Amino acid sequence: MTPPPAASVADMIRPVPLVADSQVNRDILAVMDRPTMPYWLLLGFLVVFVHAAGAVWVYQVYMGLGIAGYAHPIFWGVYIVTFVFWVGIAHAGTLISAILYLFRSKWRNAINRSAEAMTVFAVLTAAQFLGIHVGRIWKSYFILPYPNQRGLWVNFKSPLVWDTFAISTYGTISALFLFVGLIPDFAIARDRSTGWRKLLYTALALGWQGKSKQWKAWNRTVLHLSGLCTPLVLSVHSVVSWDFAMSIVPTWHATIFAPYFVAGAIFSGFAMVLTMMIPVRRIFGLEAYITDYHFDNMAKFILLTSLIVGYSYLMEFFIAWYSGNEFEQTAWWYRVFGPYWISTWTMLICNTVIPQVFWFKRARTHVPTVFAVSIFVNIGMWFERYVIIVIGLSHEYDPAVWGIYTPRPPELMILAGSFAFFAMFFVIFIKLFPVIAVSEMKELAIHQKSHAHEGAH
Amino acid sequence: MPELDRRDFLKLVGVGAGAAAAAGCSDPVEKLIPYVIQPEVITPGIPVYYASTCRECSAACGLHVKTREGRPIKLEGNPEHPVNKGSLCARGQAGIGRTYHPDRFPGPMLRGSDGKLAPISWKDATELLATKLRGGAGNAYLLGSDPGPTASGLLDKWVAAVGAGGRVVYEPFAPEALLEATQLVFGVASEPVFDLSKADFVVSFANDFLETGVSPTEHARQLAAARDIGAHPEGGARFVYFGPRLSMTASSSDEWIPARPGSEGILAMALARVVLENGAGSASERTLLSGVLDGFDAERAAARTGVDAKTIERVGKALAKAKVPVALPPVGGFASNRARAATAAVLVLNQVIGAVGKTLALLPLPSDGKRASYKELLALVDSMKSGKVSVLLVYGADPAYSMPQTTGFADALAKVPFVVSFASSKNETSALAHLILPEHTPLESWGDAQPRAGVRSILQPTVRPLQDTQALVDALLDVGRAVGPEVAAKLPTGSFRTLLEAAWSDVDFRQALQRGGVFTEKSGPASAGLSAGVAKLEVAEPHLEGEGDYVLLALPSPLLYDGRGANLPWLQEIPDPVMKIVWQSWLEVSLETAQKLGVVAGDVLVIETGGQRRAEVPVVPRGGLRNDVVALAVGQGHTQGLYASHENDGRPGEARGVNVISLLAAATDEMGGRAWLTTKAKLSKAGRSERVAFTGANDNERERMLGEAIALSDLLSGKSVVDPEMLGLAASVKERLQDAARKGETAAPPAEVPPEALGRNGEFVAYNPTEDAKPGSPYRWGMTIDLDRCTGCSACVAACYLENNIPIVGEEQSIRGRIMSWLRIERYVTEGDVDFIPGRPPHSTLERLGHVGVRHLPMMCQHCGSAPCEPVCPVFATYHNPEGLNGMVYNRCIGTRYCSNNCPYKVRRFNYYNYGLDNWPEPMKLMLNPDVTVRCKGVMEKCTYCTQRVEAARQPAKNEKRLIRDGEVTTACAQSCPTQAITFGNLKDADSQVAKKGSDPKRGYHALHVLNTRPATTYLAKVVRGSVEV
Repeated sequence: MTPPPAASVADMIRPVPLVADSQVNRDILAVMDRPTMPYWLLLGFLVVFVHAAGAVWVYQVYMGLGIAGYAHPIFWGVYIVTFVFWVGIAHAGTLISAILYLFRSKWRNAINRSAEAMTVFAVLTAAQFLGIHVGRIWKSYFILPYPNQRGLWVNFKSPLVWDTFAISTYGTISALFLFVGLIPDFAIARDRSTGWRKLLYTALALGWQGKSKQWKAWNRTVLHLSGLCTPLVLSVHSVVSWDFAMSIVPTWHATIFAPYFVAGAIFSGFAMVLTMMIPVRRIFGLEAYITDYHFDNMAKFILLTSLIVGYSYLMEFFIAWYSGNEFEQTAWWYRVFGPYWISTWTMLICNTVIPQVFWFKRARTHVPTVFAVSIFVNIGMWFERYVIIVIGLSHEYDPAVWGIYTPRPPELMILAGSFAFFAMFFVIFIKLFPVIAVSEMKELAIHQKSHAHEGAH
Repeated sequence: MPELDRRDFLKLVGVGAGAAAAAGCSDPVEKLIPYVIQPEVITPGIPVYYASTCRECSAACGLHVKTREGRPIKLEGNPEHPVNKGSLCARGQAGIGRTYHPDRFPGPMLRGSDGKLAPISWKDATELLATKLRGGAGNAYLLGSDPGPTASGLLDKWVAAVGAGGRVVYEPFAPEALLEATQLVFGVASEPVFDLSKADFVVSFANDFLETGVSPTEHARQLAAARDIGAHPEGGARFVYFGPRLSMTASSSDEWIPARPGSEGILAMALARVVLENGAGSASERTLLSGVLDGFDAERAAARTGVDAKTIERVGKALAKAKVPVALPPVGGFASNRARAATAAVLVLNQVIGAVGKTLALLPLPSDGKRASYKELLALVDSMKSGKVSVLLVYGADPAYSMPQTTGFADALAKVPFVVSFASSKNETSALAHLILPEHTPLESWGDAQPRAGVRSILQPTVRPLQDTQALVDALLDVGRAVGPEVAAKLPTGSFRTLLEAAWSDVDFRQALQRGGVFTEKSGPASAGLSAGVAKLEVAEPHLEGEGDYVLLALPSPLLYDGRGANLPWLQEIPDPVMKIVWQSWLEVSLETAQKLGVVAGDVLVIETGGQRRAEVPVVPRGGLRNDVVALAVGQGHTQGLYASHENDGRPGEARGVNVISLLAAATDEMGGRAWLTTKAKLSKAGRSERVAFTGANDNERERMLGEAIALSDLLSGKSVVDPEMLGLAASVKERLQDAARKGETAAPPAEVPPEALGRNGEFVAYNPTEDAKPGSPYRWGMTIDLDRCTGCSACVAACYLENNIPIVGEEQSIRGRIMSWLRIERYVTEGDVDFIPGRPPHSTLERLGHVGVRHLPMMCQHCGSAPCEPVCPVFATYHNPEGLNGMVYNRCIGTRYCSNNCPYKVRRFNYYNYGLDNWPEPMKLMLNPDVTVRCKGVMEKCTYCTQRVEAARQPAKNEKRLIRDGEVTTACAQSCPTQAITFGNLKDADSQVAKKGSDPKRGYHALHVLNTRPATTYLAKVVRGSVEV
């Protein structure tokens, strides 16, 4: 087998800047410098907002779920919508870190750290909603299969139990993945910092010295974790989709749900990475590390997943028509032309029409456009879940009990609070941990230098 | 102890351990004081039933009051009572709330100079009233409802003894015209009692006898018997309804003929003429009536009634052919200023079709006690206005609410210097009274009632009075004795209880108490002759006041009746059987009227009826109403009362809805009886809208196998409501088997078909509900609901609320769709097209003028054998029990609500708030059923098939080492149903009623059967008998 031409290899790794190791250290770790006033203000705002949302939640626990918009027969609303949304967001991180790692897509290095962090925070945020949405949070431990004298056990037939396992597994693995990846960078940070940070990084670096034996072990660990994570990327959102697909609700009960949800999750996850990284890149001057090339690649991913999602939408409509099933047909008609039409059309336009601009390379590399599209996709994907969950439940089998759901202020407050919760962790993260994987950037730089050298020949 | 097996031993150990553990807990110390000497009849945990009588309306149904540890907790029908035979309507059942109502007066109250009520002792209050009477008892009047024959007689004695001005009996919807018309037509003073049970043809002239007639439960039972498809395979009695509105009664008819309101008399005359022309009636009747019927040929009647001549001819001929027909005269809201003539015309029709002696009994009027007289009341109002009344004693009625403003009752009452109210809880009249001497509620009282000759029904107290109250008669006797010794001498001695016993001394009082009364069925004369006065009968259209384009129908509400039910929260929260609206007033207009005015449901209309009479009310357009009428139910518009007004929404004193009585003109019929159909209305837009508290989304069943019906002709030709070919599984199985046969293979059943779904020859057999219990379990509980018998009356809904401690959520939460009822009655109007509906689905799409097609579908948990809710619950809070019940463990529920999402019948309810604690204001908590858990916030709940009743029956059966017998246990809904549409029992017992009814191969089906949920509830399709043919 002939090796690929040098030029193509060089092309593949083009995004890595030709900078000295020390420069990489300085640039990336500069982000972690002493926080400025605007940073404190932002963090303060987020912390206060999270607490305000928390207060609303405490009030909800005290009063009961009546303060939310639930009304018979629509018993899942904004909370489950937002849960699925955040689980979806959590997918890009693992995809970038694990699958692209296994495929040796080097361009992932600039974004993998932030994507992994995002994954962990998104899972954390999503997990909150499992508790927020249940009627009796104080009894929610019943869902765990713990041994007890009463001989009570959980119902392993229930997709909600699968969900609990899927989310907790995913949270554990993605946190582990993030932490392992950070170890060499903690060591760099440890060597550069003083005071309490030094103590923190010393502890977190687990005695990393950069020995070749350590690197070898580390590389193996990352590889194995990637292998473990890869099926999870596909399974977690498949399991979440089964929360719906395993039921008999018209528009939920569909075999297409698992791949459709996974594609949607990757779609929304990439959009969220862009939404977070574009401002970070701008504020901290990381233009040299996150380049047009990354945007181009990520935009292509968004375009691909948008097409998959769009195909799924079309296929659902087609099957509803083709099946001749009156329940499905009525529900689909209601979805598009019923009182919730705004949600449906928001979903369709944001998720299938707007991303089509990415057919053009100029759009893919034009940062404001990419940013705008990422926002639209985030909105569209939140509404996708709203459409599936709320509209599905509104128009089921019994026409005498069709209903309408309207979100109430407490739910919207907690929804907004979830964004603050997520952003709060991210904002703390960028000051405490290297937002771009320093060691991997260096590794890339070494490769590139050697390739550049080859090219010169 | 040879009888103690291991399980029982463990149970006892468990109880002991539980008690020990409970004793060890450090919760606040609550003192539970046991009976020192246990009452002989009370065993804790075992209910005691007392027979009594319902006082919610004049039908006087017999009650079995279920008490637990000394507290009444539920009212059930007395099976021995001839009026209701074990069933009880929603209004009667909700009546228990009067005893535990938070609005009750704690004791006698006196209004101070500041206008506020302050407590006063019975002694002082009695003395105060006696003082007022000493100064001129001749100007003192008693005004109130009929308190029963014994109390009535005693009140009359009291009036005579103290020398009071008189006593007026007032009942807003008293059937005065009926008695007057009987006198006119038959020349005898008797009470016409209709018996539909043997009829083969029923014509109702705007008589809503199933919801607000003279005796709703009785007539519902009789109609169901006359139309029972089992006893009458050819369909039983045909039922034609003439009237402008598709009421609950009309929706049970075979043919609804939308006649003009007030045209009932003309129609009856025209029908009588057709009947006579077709050979019915005697020669003497023909001669007598020839003059009167002259102007009522079908053509001319058609022009006056809005019913086409052919229809009149057709119904008339059918009536003439019928063997045991009956015609029911207009009552209630259809009494016009010509009510007597209209009623007389219907009685004449009854005579010519030969109903008298068969379906119409002319029973002697009870001799004791006065009857309601609106004429006397108006005379009293006149004397009040002229200041001739110094003391007015009001009991058992709320005239300040229910008298038309135009009679000037409020002004007249203001001129009375001393008004005494005996109301046990606050109402509009008590708010204007100076002294309040609260009466016992019926559950705390002695008393009796006589709904008709031969039926003597008794009331006995079932609980010690919760408040410091007195029986009406006792209070008045005390006052009379305090007036002076000469008055006391004229009064009977003893308490009301002893006097009642004396009045019943002709029978065994003890036995009467046990049985609820003494019942001897009396029948009237076998035939009667028309009186000569009939020849002078003048039947014509009523005179309506006002200028507007629409006739205003003020019909009694099926649940609130004349407004007396408005303060009982269950009656507010149970959806109106026709419109499915709760807690509100609404104006029904026809679709065409709505279009003309440019309004949609919820838009507020201003309704003006002349003078200063106007009101603003949200509109609800519907197809089941004539274009020339608008309808507004009587019953709402109270300004007093926790539930009757907006007080429970935090707005005390604000009227809930509109009191339509304030819009009516003060008209009377020919003999001074009260007229309700009096007024025309002018409508205009108010330019705003309100949210209507609809509880049913859409009346189009969309061919989804929910509320099914089958045409009588199909039934007779052997068709069934479920086409086996329609079952997807059946078709595919059949195909495969045919395929296999073609290929010459043995017909092995396909793998995915459960073997129990296949018959001996591999053919598909319909789902057998007995299978879904643990093998070996002797029981599989199940239910059948016969839609052909269901009238939509909602008695079952009330029973479910009261049996299962279901909380009331109020108007605002109801609007948001958060009603907690475990059992709802869905109302579908035929199948309709399965067209897609853009936008928000409208409430009503399929009602059309002159088109019945209504199916009432009681919907509760179906206890599916393959329940979609069970596998999705992560914690097994809902599970399948060995006897086939779909159980719900509240303690285990964490509130993911997935079960409800996955329930296709949507019968699960969620506790949004802490209803169990917060929605039972003191002392209503005392009426909770101790056998049913009060649910906490955050858990799901649903119908349990009254599992607590099954458990109650289990122990006696176990003691006797036998199985629970068929009929020994029934659910609250089935128990209350006037038509016995619901049957509950053990499906595994092939001889049980439920198994027999449920195996009806033609009418039986399972709701949404395509989902293969294997429900334990089998519905029996409604039979569409079609319009009347000659």
